[in-house]
This record gives sequence, C-alpha cells and structure tokens, in this order.
Amino acid sequence: MPLPRLHVLPWDQPLVRSAAAWLSAGWSGKAPLDLSDRLVIVPTRQSGRRLREALAALAAVRGQAVFPPKVVLPEILATLEAPVAGLATAMEGQLAWVEVLRGISLDEFRDVFPVDPPARNFAWARRLATQLLRLQGTLAEAGLRIGDVVAVASAAGGGFPESARWRQLGELERRVDAALAARGLRDPQAAKIGFAKAPILPPGIARIHVIGTPDPLPLALSILEKHAARLPVDVLVHGPASEPVDALFDAWGRPRPDAWAARSVAPADFTQRVHLCADPAAQAARIVALARDYAAPDGLLAVGVADAEVLPPLENALTRAGLPAFNPEGRPRRRDGLYALLATLAAFAGEAGFEPAAALLRCPDVLAWLSVREGGAFSPSALLRELDELTARHLPPTLAAARAHAEEFPRVVPALAALAELQRALTAEAFPASAAAALTLIFGARRIDITTPLAGSAEAWTDALREAGTALAVFGASEWTLAEKWELVLQQFAESRQAAEKPPGALDLLGWLELPWEDAPHLVVAGFNDGSVPEAVVGDVFLPEALRVRLGLKTNAVRFARDAYLLAACGASRAAGGRLDLLLGRTSAAGDPRRPSRLLLQCADAELPARVARLFRSVETARPNLPWARAWKLHPRVSPPPARVSVTALKDYLACPFRFYLKHVLRMGRLDPSKAELDALDFGTLVHAALQRLGEAEALRDCTDAAVLRDFLLERFEIAARARYGADLTLPLVVQLESARQRLRAAAEVEARERAAGWRTERVEWPFEFPLGGLVVRGKIDRIDRHADGRVRVLDYKTSDTAKEPAKAHLRPVRTDDAAGPEWRVFNDVAGKARVWSDLQLPLYRRAVAPEWGDAVTCGYFNLPKAAGEAAVAEWADFSRELQAEAERCALGAATAIAAGVFWPPAELPAREDEDWAELFHQGAAASVEWEGRIA
Amino acid sequence: MKAPGHQMILASAGSGKTYALTNRFVQLLAGGAAPERIVALTFTRKAAGEFFDEILKKLARAATEPAYARQLAREVDATALGPVDFLRLLRAVIDAMPRLSLGTLDGFFARIVRSFPLELGLSGDFEVMEESVARRERRRVLRRMFTAAGEPDDAQREFIEAFKRATFGVEEKRLARVLDGFLDRHAEKFLAAPESERWGEPAHIWPEGCGWLADAGRREQAAKTLRAAWPWAELNEKQRTRLEMFFLALPEWSPGAPLPDAVAYIVKNAFLVWDDLRRGRADFTLERKKIALDAGACAALVAVVSGIAGAELARRLEMTRGLFAVLRGYERNYHDSVRRLGRLTFADVQRLLLPAAGAPVLSGDEAGEARLLVDWRLDAKFDHWLLDEFQDTSFGQWSVLRNLIDEAVQDAEKRRSFFYVGDVKQAIFSWREGDPRLFREIFNHYNQAEPGMIAEGRLDQSWRSGPAVVAMVNRVFGDTAALREIVPASAADTWAREWREHVSAKPQPGYAELRHAEDEAGRFAETLRILREIEPLKRGLEVAVLVRKNDTAAALADYLRREGKLAAVAESDVPVAIDNPLTCALLALLRAAAHPGDSMAQEHLRMTPLGGLLEAEGMVSRDALTARLLAEIHTDGFAGTLEHWLRKLAPVIAEDAFSTERGRLLVEAAEAFDENGSRDVAEFLEFAERHAVRDADMAGVVRVMTIHKSKGLGFDLVLLPDLEGKTLAERRDGLAVQKAEDRSVEWVLELPAKLFYERDPVLAAHVTAAEADAAYESLCLLYVAMTRAKRAMIVITEPAGESVSRNFPKLLETALGETWSEGDPAWWRALPLIEKAPAPAETLGALAGGEAARVARLLSTTPSGTERATVGGRALFALSAGRAAAFGTAVHALLAAVEWKELQVATDWPAGGMEAEAVAEAQACLDAPALAEVWTRPSCDLAEVWRERAFEGVLDSVWVTGVFDRVVVERTVTGAVVRVTVYDFKTDRVEDTPEERTRVIARYARQLETYRKMAALLTGASLAQVGCALVLTAVRRRVELPPGADLAGSGERSG
Ligand code: SF4
Repeated sequence: MPLPRLHVLPWDQPLVRSAAAWLSAGWSGKAPLDLSDRLVIVPTRQSGRRLREALAALAAVRGQAVFPPKVVLPEILATLEAPVAGLATAMEGQLAWVEVLRGISLDEFRDVFPVDPPARNFAWARRLATQLLRLQGTLAEAGLRIGDVVAVASAAGGGFPESARWRQLGELERRVDAALAARGLRDPQAAKIGFAKAPILPPGIARIHVIGTPDPLPLALSILEKHAARLPVDVLVHGPASEPVDALFDAWGRPRPDAWAARSVAPADFTQRVHLCADPAAQAARIVALARDYAAPDGLLAVGVADAEVLPPLENALTRAGLPAFNPEGRPRRRDGLYALLATLAAFAGEAGFEPAAALLRCPDVLAWLSVREGGAFSPSALLRELDELTARHLPPTLAAARAHAEEFPRVVPALAALAELQRALTAEAFPASAAAALTLIFGARRIDITTPLAGSAEAWTDALREAGTALAVFGASEWTLAEKWELVLQQFAESRQAAEKPPGALDLLGWLELPWEDAPHLVVAGFNDGSVPEAVVGDVFLPEALRVRLGLKTNAVRFARDAYLLAACGASRAAGGRLDLLLGRTSAAGDPRRPSRLLLQCADAELPARVARLFRSVETARPNLPWARAWKLHPRVSPPPARVSVTALKDYLACPFRFYLKHVLRMGRLDPSKAELDALDFGTLVHAALQRLGEAEALRDCTDAAVLRDFLLERFEIAARARYGADLTLPLVVQLESARQRLRAAAEVEARERAAGWRTERVEWPFEFPLGGLVVRGKIDRIDRHADGRVRVLDYKTSDTAKEPAKAHLRPVRTDDAAGPEWRVFNDVAGKARVWSDLQLPLYRRAVAPEWGDAVTCGYFNLPKAAGEAAVAEWADFSRELQAEAERCALGAATAIAAGVFWPPAELPAREDEDWAELFHQGAAASVEWEGRIA
Repeated sequence: MKAPGHQMILASAGSGKTYALTNRFVQLLAGGAAPERIVALTFTRKAAGEFFDEILKKLARAATEPAYARQLAREVDATALGPVDFLRLLRAVIDAMPRLSLGTLDGFFARIVRSFPLELGLSGDFEVMEESVARRERRRVLRRMFTAAGEPDDAQREFIEAFKRATFGVEEKRLARVLDGFLDRHAEKFLAAPESERWGEPAHIWPEGCGWLADAGRREQAAKTLRAAWPWAELNEKQRTRLEMFFLALPEWSPGAPLPDAVAYIVKNAFLVWDDLRRGRADFTLERKKIALDAGACAALVAVVSGIAGAELARRLEMTRGLFAVLRGYERNYHDSVRRLGRLTFADVQRLLLPAAGAPVLSGDEAGEARLLVDWRLDAKFDHWLLDEFQDTSFGQWSVLRNLIDEAVQDAEKRRSFFYVGDVKQAIFSWREGDPRLFREIFNHYNQAEPGMIAEGRLDQSWRSGPAVVAMVNRVFGDTAALREIVPASAADTWAREWREHVSAKPQPGYAELRHAEDEAGRFAETLRILREIEPLKRGLEVAVLVRKNDTAAALADYLRREGKLAAVAESDVPVAIDNPLTCALLALLRAAAHPGDSMAQEHLRMTPLGGLLEAEGMVSRDALTARLLAEIHTDGFAGTLEHWLRKLAPVIAEDAFSTERGRLLVEAAEAFDENGSRDVAEFLEFAERHAVRDADMAGVVRVMTIHKSKGLGFDLVLLPDLEGKTLAERRDGLAVQKAEDRSVEWVLELPAKLFYERDPVLAAHVTAAEADAAYESLCLLYVAMTRAKRAMIVITEPAGESVSRNFPKLLETALGETWSEGDPAWWRALPLIEKAPAPAETLGALAGGEAARVARLLSTTPSGTERATVGGRALFALSAGRAAAFGTAVHALLAAVEWKELQVATDWPAGGMEAEAVAEAQACLDAPALAEVWTRPSCDLAEVWRERAFEGVLDSVWVTGVFDRVVVERTVTGAVVRVTVYDFKTDRVEDTPEERTRVIARYARQLETYRKMAALLTGASLAQVGCALVLTAVRRRVELPPGADLAGSGERSG
C-alpha cells in the first residue's frame, strides 16, 4: 500500500504560517499563487479559514493574490463529489426510524427492549430514533453499520456479551433501510461507507495535503488511502524538529498513544502558567483583567475555551468590560430571537389556551406586525396594559373567550383579531405550508436587511421547513399531530448554529481543537479541567469503551494522546517570544468540584507530588462575600396630598403613612402577570354582588326561608360570574366558584336566621362622604339593617379565610415603636390598657349614618369564612360612645396629617408582612428612601 | 491480592471519619485493587470532591515524606510500602481519574440509568433537572391543567371532586396555592405509595376494625337520647349552661373542622372516665363537680362521643382519599408531559431503579431476566464498596445497591469488600428519608448468616474538639437519666445503646459554657457581646454561630453586621435577585416593559437612577420602553439585556462592590435561564425571584448557619444561641405515613386532632413511634450542634425555669444544671491579635514585549457580503425562498460547465438532480443573442476563461475571499493582458426595465467593484482594463458596470 509522505512543520513556529509557507514553496511571486490543483485537509472550519487568510497575507506581501487550494475537513471527504440524489435527509432518516419503531412487535426485539416502554407514541419513537441515528453516525466514522457490529466485535475474540442485542439492532437497521428503499431513498451513512470504497476526487486535483489534523476519522483515512494509490499525498504534522517524527506520529500524522501517554506536556514554567481559579466566573474575571492589560488584544491575545461552561460568563464579562469578543462557532439558534417566536407559535398552533396568545403579543415581531396592520396610532404599551387588565379581570382560558370580553378593551380587539387570523393561517392549510403562511403573515410587510441575523435564521428555518415538507410527504404524515410536526422542525432549527461575522478587533474565543491553528503570541486556555481536556467518554448505552476498542472507534486513549499532543504543540509554538497560560476551575458554576486536567499531572514522577499539592489546594472563592451595601436610595417624587380618601385608605395610613403615599398618592400597585385564578378581591366582589342583589330584592324582603334565599343568591351569583368569566371556566375557577357558592349557601342560612330574629336590611351598598380635618372621607357601607325593635346596625361582609372579630380587626396592643408615632392613634381602653387603632372602618360607618340613624347604631361583620360552619354575623359587642369618640379623634388626626402632606416616616415592618413592597425596601423602609417631602 | 474484609465503622463526630475512609481507599490500593474497581459514594458532590482530594494529598505526602509514608503504611496495614510505592499508587489513581466511581449516590444512580434507559423503560437519553427547572415544570403542568377550558372532562371532574374532598369543610378560594402546598408536602409520599388502597383505607389502618367508624352516622340521634337521659335535675346553673351550650354547638360542628370549645369540653371529660362510661357507671365532671351518670346516660354519652369521633375519623379518611386523588390527578399530567420526555429529578432517577417498584436488580456477576449486568455498559467492574454517611442512606437507596454489595460480601474468594461508615448520632436527614436503623440491620443481617462476616469498628476519639467541649458533650449525651426525662424512653434508650463516652485527642486549652439570656433579643445581644469580647476573627479563629432556621441565620447575621459592624455571613441560600435595590430595579425594568400597566414597576423605575438613564436614552414614553426592552430581550436574551443595562449603570455603582457583584450574579442566573430559550418575562421574573445562591465557604468571617448545614464542619469557636423551641418529640406535621418493617407504606392518613387520635390504639401507636423518632432526631441535631467546636462552645438559652416544654433548654438544664462551664473562660487571651495583610490578587500579566510579537489580523469580507439589500419578509419566509436559492445554485453550476459556447453540447449537462427548469434557463442564456459575447471565445491571441474560480487576496488591508462566476482574460501572444471581463451571474427574478437595472446595479455595485480590483490584482491588469458585467439570467441580459459605479460606497465597509 502506498503510504503518504510525512513532513514535519517544526512546532517552534506557528502552524498556520509554516503551513502557508510550505504550500507556497517554489512560488516565484510573479504570478498569483495558484494552488487550485491541491486538496488540503484541515481539522476544523476555523483552521481552514486561518490557512486561507495566511495564504492571502503571504501573497499580499508580494502584491499578489491566491487561487486557493480546495480546503476541506476530513468528514467531508466521504461526500466530496459523491452523488447526492436519493439520499435521505436527516428528517427522512428520523421518520423512517419512527415508522419502524412504531411498527415492530417488541416481542421480536426483547434484547433491545426488555420491557415495554410506557407509551409507544411518537415522542417515544422520535427520541429513540434520534439516539439510534446518532449511533449510526458514530459507527460510520469507522465505516461500520449497526449490522456489522457483531461480526467485527466478535472477530476481536474474547466473547461479546451483547451479541443478541446487536443482532436485533441490526435487524432494526435493516428494516429502516428497507423503509427508505421503498421510497427510493438511501441512508446517507450507508451511502458514505459505500462511496468510501471507490472515492472520487474533484476534477483537477493533483496533490493532497493533510495538514495539522491529529485525529481524522478512520473512514476519511480509508478514502485517503485509496487516493494515495493514484496521486501524491503529504501529511504535515506540527511537531518537534528534533525528534524522529515516526516515533511520535503514525503515517497519517496521528499522535501515537504510547508516545504521548506519559510525555510531559504542560508548560515548563508550571507554577507561573497554570492558574487554579475558584470557578468559571473567576476564570472569566482573570481573562477580562488580562485583556484589559492589552491596549488592542486582537493579534496579541487569543482565548481558548476548553470547557463550554466557561463561555457564557466569559462572554458576558467581556461585554461588561466593553471588550468585543468573537466565537467562530456561532451560537445555537435555540438562543435566537426567532426561535422564541417559533416556539410560541408552535404552542399557539398546538393548543387553544390563551397563554401562548398572550405570549405572542409580547413578541416584538408580532408587535411590529400589529403596528403595520393598525397604522400610526398603534401603541404597544397600551395594548399590553389592556391585555394584562383583560387577563386579570376575566381570566380567559382561550383566545375565543378573551375575544368575547375584548370589547371593554378597545386596543385589544384588533390585536386579538389579528391573532385569530394567525390561528386560521396556522390551521387552514397543511403543514408546512401553514407554518410558512403564518410567518409570511407576521413578517410580510417588513423589509429585512439580508445581512442581519434574522435573515440568516429565516433561511435556516425555511430550509428545515422544506425538508420537513418533503419528509412528511414521503412518509405520510396523517398520524402526526400538528404539534409533533412543529416539534420536528423546531428541533432541527434549534440545533443549527448562527454564525456571525467577527467584529473588528474582537477577541477570539476558540474551541480546544482550534487552538493549534491559532497564532496569537499569547494564548490563554480556560476550563482546563479533566473531562474537558482530555475528553473522556465513560459508559454508554450502546458503545462502552470496551466495544469502541473492538470496533476501532475513537477511544479514550486516542483522545488522550490527541489532547496531550495539542497542549504540547500550543506550548511549543510559544516557547520563544510567546506565552501560554492555562486556567482551570476548582468547581463548576453550580459549585460542584471539578478536577484538574490529567495532562497537567503528566510529569516526571519526582514532580508529581508537588503538582498534586498545587492543583488540589483550596482556593479562595471568587465570590467575595461583601457586606451588604445599598446601591442607591429611592427618590420618590413628591406629590400633593389627595383631597378625598376612602375609609380603606385610612386604614392603610394607620398602618404606614409612607406606604399610604405610595399606594394612594403615587398609585403604585403590583400586577400579577401569572394570575390564574381569582384573587381575594375578585372573590369578595363576586360574593358581594350576589348579596347586594338580595338586599335590594324588595319581594324577598321578609322572606326567612333559607332555601329561597339561597336559590336567589345562587342565581344572582351565577349571573355575575358568567358575565365576568364566561361559560368556559378553567379548573381553578370551577373550584373557586364552587367555594363561593358554598359560602353563599352558608350566608343564606345566616341570613334566614337573622331575619327570623327580626332583622331587615334597609340599605345596601350605601355610599357616603363627609368632611374631616381638611379632607373628604368617603366609603360605601355593605348594608344597614334595622331590627323590628328599632335597633339599627351597619354590617360589612368579610370573605377572608377566617372569621374576623371587629374589635380585633380595629384595635391592637401597643408596640414599642408606637412611642415615636402620633399620639392620636393611641388611647386607653376601659381596662386602662393602651390600645392602638389599626382600622377605623366600622366607627366611621357609624359616624356616616349618625345624621340619619342616630348614634345608637351597632356595627359588625357578616363573616363568610372558608369554614362554612363559621359563617355568622359578628357584632362588635362592647362598642361604646367613648370608643366612637376615640375613633373619631384618631380619624381626625389621620385626616389632618394626610391633608398636611405628612407621609414620613414609614413604619418598619418585618419583611414577611411587607411582601407588597419588598422590591422597594431593603434593610429598613426609612433607610431605603430619600424622602424630600414633609417630615412629621 | 489481599482482601481487607468487610467493615462497619461507627464514627462519632470529629473522630476522623474521612480519615478512616481515605485510609480504607489507600489500603485497598495497597492491596492491589485497581482504583476504578473501588466504588466510594457519599451524599454531596462537595464531600465527594474533598474525599478525592484527601486521597491524592495523602498519597502525595507519603510519596515525599518518608516518616509519613511509614505512618500511613502502618495505618493501612501494608508496612512494606515506602514513598516509591505511594508514588506509584498516586500515579495509578490519577491515570484512572475518568474511570473512578467516586462520587454521589445520585450521580452513581444517574450513571446506571443512563446506561440502561431501554431496560428501565425510558425512551433514550434523559436530563436531570435542576430544582428551579423542576419547579418551572410543575408550574407549567399546573397551568396546563388549569387552562384546559370548556366542559370539564371526566379526569377534570374527578380532580375537582377530589380537591373538594381533600379540603372538606373549608371552602378554599386559592386553588393554585393550596395545590402547590399539597405538592410540596405530599408529592414524594404519593410516589412512594401510589396505590389507592394505602390512602385513607380503614381496612388497612384498622385490620381489626374500628369501632368508632360504625358510630359515625349516629351522633344526632344519640344526642337526642343523651339529652333525655341526662340527670338535669342534679345540675346547678353553671353546669346546665355548659351542657346546653354543648347541645347547641354540636349540630353546628361539621367533621373536619375544629371542635367548638363547648363540644370539646364534654368530649374531653368523657374520655377522662371513658372506661367507666363504657361499664355503665361513671362520675362525670362538669364544671369541677362530679355528676353520677346511670347506665342509660353513660350509654348515651358513649354513643354521642363515639359518634363524634367516628364522624371525625370518617371525614379524615375521606380527605385522605381526596388528597390521594388530587395527587394522582396531578402526577398523571406531570408524568405524561415531563418524565416521559426524559426530564427527571434525582428522585425520579432513583425511583426507576427501585426493586420494590419492579426495577430489575443490578448485578456485576450475571445478566438475566430482571437483572442488569452493570459491568459491560459502565466500563467498570466493582469489587469494593465504600459508603459514607451511612446513617443518611435511605432504605430505597440501599435496596438499589443491595444486590451489588451482596455479591461483594458473598464473594467466595473473598477478593471483594464492603465498608460503611457513619454516625447514627448524626442522623438529621430523616426528612430526606435517611434511615439510621439500616446501620444495624445490615450488620445483623450479614452476621447472622455468618458470624464475624462484618467487623464492627468504633471511633470515639475526637480529633476535633478539645477537652472542655468534649466534657460538655459527654455530660449532656451520656446522661441517660436526663435524656429519659425529656424524650420518650424508647428514644433515650436507642440513643444510649450506641452512645460511648467521647475522648478528646486534642488537649488544647478551651472552654464550654451554658449561659442564659431572657429572650431572642437577649440571645442575639449576648452573641454579639461574646464576639466583641473575644474578637475571634482578629485572632485568626474560625467562628460559627449555629441556629435552627435559615431565616434566623439571615436575621442574626444581619444583626451582627448592623449592630456589631462584624463581618458576618449567613450561609444560607440568599435570594440574590431581590435582596438589594440594584437588581430589584433591573427586574422592575423588565416588568415595566413587558407589563406596562404595572404601576409599581413604572413608579419604582422613576425613583431610581434607571429613571434618569431611560430619559437620557430618549426612552421617556412607555411605548419606547416596551418596544426597546422587548426587542433587546428577544434578540439578546435576558442575560444580554441585563448585562447591557448594568453597563449603563456602571458609573452609578462603580464604588459599590457589593451591588456590582449582585448584578453579576443576576446575569449569571439569567444565563442559566436563557439556556432553555424562553423569553417570557413573567416566567423569568418568577425564576429570578426564587433564585438563590449559597454563599460560599468563607474564611475570615463570622459564619452564621443552620445546624443542618454545619454538619461535617468544625470551628474554633461555636455559639449556639438559638436552641429554643417546642418539645423535642414533636413529630413532623402533615400526613401520618405508617411504614412496615420492610419500609413499605402500610397506610396514609390525615390524622384527626390529638383528642381523638390519642384514644385510638392504632393511631396512638403510630404517633408514639413517630414522636420517638422525632425525639431521637432532635437529640441528633443537638449532638451535631455541640460537636462542631474545636476549642470553645458557648450555649445561650433562655432559662427553662418552670417551663414544662421538653425542649433543648430543658434538656440542657436537666443534664447540666442551671448554668455550667468547664475549662478556661479566658482561653482566648493567649492568642495574639494578628494583622492580616490581604493577599495580593493573582493576575495573569500581559506578554512582555508583546507588541513585537503581534500578528497581523486582517478584516475580512466576501464580495457577496458587500451586497446591499433588504428583502421583503414575505419572500424571506416563503417556502419557495430556499427553492429560489437552490435554483440559483443549479443555474450557476450549469453555466460553470460552459467553457466556450462552441464547445458546449447540451448533453454535457448532467441531468441528475438539476431541475429541468434550471437546465432550460441555462440553455436559454447560452442561446440568447444578448449574451453571446459572454460565451464566445474572444479573438485575441490567448484567451483564458476562469469558471467558478475561488480566490483569496488582500485589498486595502481587507482580506477578501470569494469566487468568480466567470472571467475572460484576453492576452497578447507574449502574455500581456489586453482585457479582462468579469461576469457575475444573477438568477434573481427581475424585470427587464431600466429602473430595475438601476436597482440591480445599486445592489451589486460594490460587489462587482471588488471583483474588478481582485481580477486586476490576479491578472496584473490595470483597473481600466477590467470590465465588469452582471448576467441577469432571468431576462438573459448583460448589464455593464462602469468602473467606479459605486465610488461613494467602495471600501467603506468595515466588518
Ligand atoms: S417514569 Fe415516565 S419516563 Fe420514566 S419510565 Fe415511567 S413512563 Fe417512562
């Protein structure tokens, strides 16, 4: 067999420049450097790019340019010039597997499926298909198919414990091949393996060079071997000039595992160049600090990222420091904006729920579409505000339900109409035409710059969509749900990568395998931890290491040799005039321990204990535990006090003047975007509404039959509930409304009792207002009752979880911090104990009714708590004129203070009682705010 | 090789458990075991990491220090070993690093499941979810359940019914919250016993029958009888009122609700004379006076009380079954939409392997029906087992490993071994199913089969604590009499059985004391006072304050920082996104943008520097804020967006390291969130608000943490100011879960009130056992707390005094007396105050003389990248869009095959794959008179044509890379260039109008200009000699581009 010629490019020089020089050897410089008859094999896309750049630069020195060689990666060799017609696409392959997996009798394949899966649905089949396709891909690297495994593994001798399983897997593969063949398709891996037996070269190629490619796939080598029989093949390794090359590398330039397994490869000045950091964030911080030391890092510094976990914190830290960075790998489209839109659309297409609809309306692309549809007056914030209001008020379960309520929200109407149109587009046609229709609807009116990421993503998306269209047509898609079809395409889209262009001067962030082709004099590699470098695979569903060895697949020993060699090469080319630093983390971002790379422990025995001590020492955490500090104090604007306050607002003022100010003057209020059920207020409102109707029902005024009252209440309740929430209820609403009914049933019992005892309701929802201390106090009394004997009482409905006692709800004992508060809140009760007003509702109700009903009115709560048995009227038993006087004194004090604009200081509440304001107040309310208004 | 035998080690706190474990590992290595054949498992990844580090350090030290090597060799029973051998072992461990099975139980289980997904019924690979992700999944499942609208289907109806039953008598108005609570408390219980007959099924709870249940329906009738039978005449006024109140209140009560006082009073008193009542003669106490009841009254009272109890029990059973149905309803949904898609929690992973749940047994020796051979797939053969913290191992975990360990223990050739270590006195994780009884059970199990099979070892010498501390521990925990006074006797006896007097191996000066303070404020103040007096940080002492709850830790740390200006850190999970103004404002920014109606967020922004920033950015209107922020989030994700705004805020917080760090942590959290691709602001906010970061171990601070977190740690000085609380025997609230000897669940019941359960033998027995377990665990907790100190420990409690609570203060007072101390109260005075200079920050340093070594980096471009155009969204997203590109590629390929027209025959074009349409278009181009010149060999001396030819070059310092479609080079006979023509094929569907041509020229001008320059460079021609033309294939037209057509734009493109 003709062997390639092995050349050494001395590794004390950067590989990329040596390679370019080698390729241009003999070039006169008078004409363009014409390498178009060469095929060059390099390990990665980025290395190819680097090589072409170096050639261009080299030619430019002589004022020339280059006709470049054809530069390819080893894995391309098996498809180069191969006919593409009739090959199954990835999706077709997947569908073929799905079809077979769904169709087989599992009993025939008990060595593969010892137990039945929980559900043999598409999701199951698709996940399994993905895994089996990956298995086929891995085997194909060595030119094998599943069906070959038993023979090859057994040939290695020593028995093969899983042969029955592999035979059955082979049978599955055979059936998949047949399923493809029935549609005139071929498995692409099988095609590759076949092609490798008689490979073709592109026309005009006269020489092949394999450059700096330490682990080409076995399949690629078998192809190269065939080419080598016909034309010269050179293998260029970046290695030491001083050592015999074939001791270190095999004929194809692969590091020999035995030669590298024990070789010392870490930088010589170990303690200066190997840096133990706490975690990924600490590594990122070091790199940022270093990059800042360079005025213009690009061209001097390059960063290798061996552990992907370091990448996000590093990218963010660089951004924060204002240093542009560039990752040639691009980013997965799963993190793309378009993906977010598509995923929401998929959910919207697949289910009737309102949630995805609302999510769509928060998507900028959809907002842009609406803006075009609606013209100049469109306001995204107004739309979203109304949308939230509608959601909070009506809790619509579906888009249709939402539309039924939309007329109260004029801006929502056209938006929901647009979504309905979108939904029609998504369902009217067959997939994928429907998906395309939906997107053209959204983007149709926009013009998009073809250089933007969106344009690139759109292309990747339509490609996937078209591929899916073909695949689904070929395999018959009737059994697939719309959601599954979306999922099929989204998955492929999500896994594709979005490559951007390098911003000028950006710092390169390179993967480990790219590094030998990097020539920046200072190279820093982060994430130098075991498992990342050297890469190791342990345990596998199908291909454990023992089997990999037998099958000639890439083994851990081979990976180790490759990585050891790469580290040595990166160091050697910077030994003179350059610098290599290695950073490694003691823990992962989540705080789990990580081990240093074994490559760093590959040293002379004498040195090993010291290295262990150094690499396993504990490091101070990078996360400084700094004393809590306040970034700033809040500066609330100062607004004039209100002229009118409600009784409830007064209660808030008693609790805390400043929170009163925020809530009732600045009108601050939290909105719960994930509201999925009634809140306390909604619940109370519904119950109130029914009770109010009962109070107003003249015909039932003297009715004491609990059953009649109950029926009336329930009927009114039904009307109110339906008006607000429609007929389609979500699960929580069903439960909550039932709970409300239950409470109303209890209310009917109580009401009947009260009536039987002589009480009649005189007024319901009676509004009042009166002046007080420069303010107008207003309120609405739930009901005013009069007894046959002339007594009068005011009642307030309470639907809180537990029954309330009026006295406890209005008064509380003194706390130490009350001493600093205004004296009008405090008084001594009959027992001589100091009490503090926390609410004034019932006394103020009494005061409001006094002009008409006199001052002998009693007051209390009509409690409807969650324990239905505890529903009852709770009167304020020992309410007295004295108490009334105290309450009014307090009310006057509060009203006067409000009118005077006294909203400071705030009360200091324990955090758990202050959830409403938690985002504003940290470590004390007063300390959090710089108040510029009046101070008490 | 030498097998070291099987061993159980009971290791008291500080007695060197890790030391024993690492020695065992070394011993196995020394005996010739391959490192990858040793499985060493513990509970936390941190502990596993430390374990590995310790082994390496031990071996490294032995490799370099002969004296230490001798000591280690002795300890591991391999006296022949010297430094060289230890070096060899060190190398062996390092080489085996990726193959080691040294980690957590969770990780080990996940590894097995990952290797046998199909055998375990999974459909391929799976993902272990972080807790926050699992929580989000739960929320989504609930949402989906909730929003399924329309007429409720059967499953939903069933769910609603179940919910009502589970919450009987209380009309819950917040379903989501109640349900969330159910799931938090009971989901695991459901999964442990998913069979309906275990839940609230009387036949399982009372196999002998339950008398009360039979009376459940009879209380009304019985009440009538009782009223009639009662000796009213003998009652005084007060008693009569009492009784009337009872009869009045009884019908008001509904089972499940608390008994009204008036009812409870009578029931309680009836129970006091219950046996007499049943016998038919009883003196019933009413208002402190006894009333003699005759047989009729007795029987009636028994019937009423029994009816009440029965009704209550029946209701609890019903509620329990309702709860079961609720959990099942949720679980079904969760299972279908989360687990089945391969998203599992660690608990799920473990459950897949439980033999009790039908999982195949793991084996290292043989595969077979219902057996998984782990060796082959895991690339590992396990000979030796080391289990750490064994008291925390759950029965489930043990049942997964049991067969593998069995095989090791039963190994006929005794080549394999089992070693487990732990401390049953530190069993504080029963809520995570830790099962300290296993320790002995396993030992007994093997040793019954073959006496001496497992050797028992004990470590009771403390290498951590000094004599004073040890004295206090011995005094409290060695005093069985005192223990028996405070905790149930069975708990005290269990404790005493494994207790051994501790001995200090560290004879250093120290101090231990019990002292008092009045209330919480007093205990906090005392804590601060002690820290101020001793100044431990300045003396280089490690100090910890241990408390019961995370909240207390946070509050106390805060107090120490605020009042004492001490560097105190609460080692709890800190909600970093909401504990400070900066990140709260950033969250408000997101909220305000996505939810413009949130007036809290809007107004909040205005109060912060962000308000000014927004104004400066021209984002005054809400529309501007919404549009800009949502777009940022959409394209850059949350991390990118937050990063961006943090940068803008940088000047404001430049001096504030704390806030800067908080900002960074928020971005870090956002990175994790972005991973899953969601751009839902509400979802992110919820995630961020819950996101907590564990403050890392810190030197040089007062560490405030819960006792649970302190397990495994040691400190010079420990303060225990938070030992107050209720009785030590208080069982964990919630459902009663009765387990059988084999730990299977026998029954589950929501217990009735104490009044009732203590009268029922079955329930009372359950509660007694549960209380004993709780009391035992309480002792463990105190033991853990009191064994953390190295030199000194000060316990601060409120005086127990007259209190009857059997709590920690009472226990301490019973064992130690009112106050107690030992050692030297001034132990710390001898330690000097040290000034510690902060260590200089390590930096990498730039390359010396770097500039000289700088490599040139060229900006790069491709000619087609200079194309200036926008495209309509409709065209971009149309399904046919890609088709157009494929068509274009096909036409290009066809035309590239044409050298000169006269040489071209149509059949030269391969038909395969190329669509007929493309062939037709290419052919039409060839035939078009307007394009004839393109394909015709010029009449010069030498004509050369480049077809689809790649080039690389540098123009104006920019690296240009591209491909010429077609270039015709005309030369004289000497080779001198006469003329060069660059043709670029465009397959756009254009119309043949002058306007369209102008547009096309504008679009491609820059691109062609680049081609022109490059062609000139490659041929040596002058720019003037190079002609450029577009070939519009759709209209078969050639459009000439005059030189400099795009002068305005040329070369301005930069990156
Ligand atoms: S738990 Fe779910 S995912 Fe796991 S095996 Fe059972 S059905 Fe499959």
